[in-house]
Amino acid sequence: MNRRRFLKAAGVVAGALLAPKLTPAIAQGGGLEGEDVAHLEPTLQKVLGKGFKDLTPSNQVKLTMPTIAESGANVPFEIEVSLPKDRVKAIHLFVDKNPSPHIVKVEVGQAMPYYASRTRMAETSAVRAVVETQDGKLLLASASTRVTVGGCG
Amino acid sequence: MAIRTLARLTPPKPKTGDAFKLQVVAQHPMEPGTRKDEKGNLIPAYYIDLVEVYFEGQKVANVLPEPGVSANPLFGLAFQAAQPGTFTIKLKDNKGDTGEASVKLELS
Repeated sequence: MNRRRFLKAAGVVAGALLAPKLTPAIAQGGGLEGEDVAHLEPTLQKVLGKGFKDLTPSNQVKLTMPTIAESGANVPFEIEVSLPKDRVKAIHLFVDKNPSPHIVKVEVGQAMPYYASRTRMAETSAVRAVVETQDGKLLLASASTRVTVGGCG
Repeated sequence: MAIRTLARLTPPKPKTGDAFKLQVVAQHPMEPGTRKDEKGNLIPAYYIDLVEVYFEGQKVANVLPEPGVSANPLFGLAFQAAQPGTFTIKLKDNKGDTGEASVKLELS
């Protein structure tokens, strides 16, 4: 086998190995650790009346979570929105794998679009910050936190 | 029983036009309603479900926590300093208990 044929064959094999791993990640929109959109979907429908595919990932929303949390009973988070305050209606936080994924709704009113608090996490999960704007858009920021000991059970 | 509530501002004396944080801490077990006691009975949910923030008697923000919020919760909001006044924070849990705290905003 010459060099050219070897490289071609190797490329095909590598592509075949990578493809199945990449496709589901793209289909779910991120490939975060502990993602569970199927479990999140009914809560989104109940709270927002919209599904996961209606959320627009946006870099105007910044969600700060620790990478690893020792205890799931007390995980700090911070949501910052770089939009003028009169354009933001509400801020939500969801944890994909929690028994009840909706954590909080903040009606910002006269406050700046910012919220910091602490949440419980049952296990390693993806976390979503969803921002409702006045013109009805839903902006999304995702993060993921690895939890050593869960805080819900 | 009233919920013990504390509120503070950081920085304590912001300059006019600057952003500052309002942090509220409440003493509350925040039972999520998913845990069981030693006998295997479900502990009923018991959590703060409404936090109202008033500035000079006018409502400025609303926080609606769900059972997933941590015990002894902290609620952090940010405001822009425009005029001095008093923040009043009113809490309510799902058993009807209430808590109240207030903090004075002074400008430097």
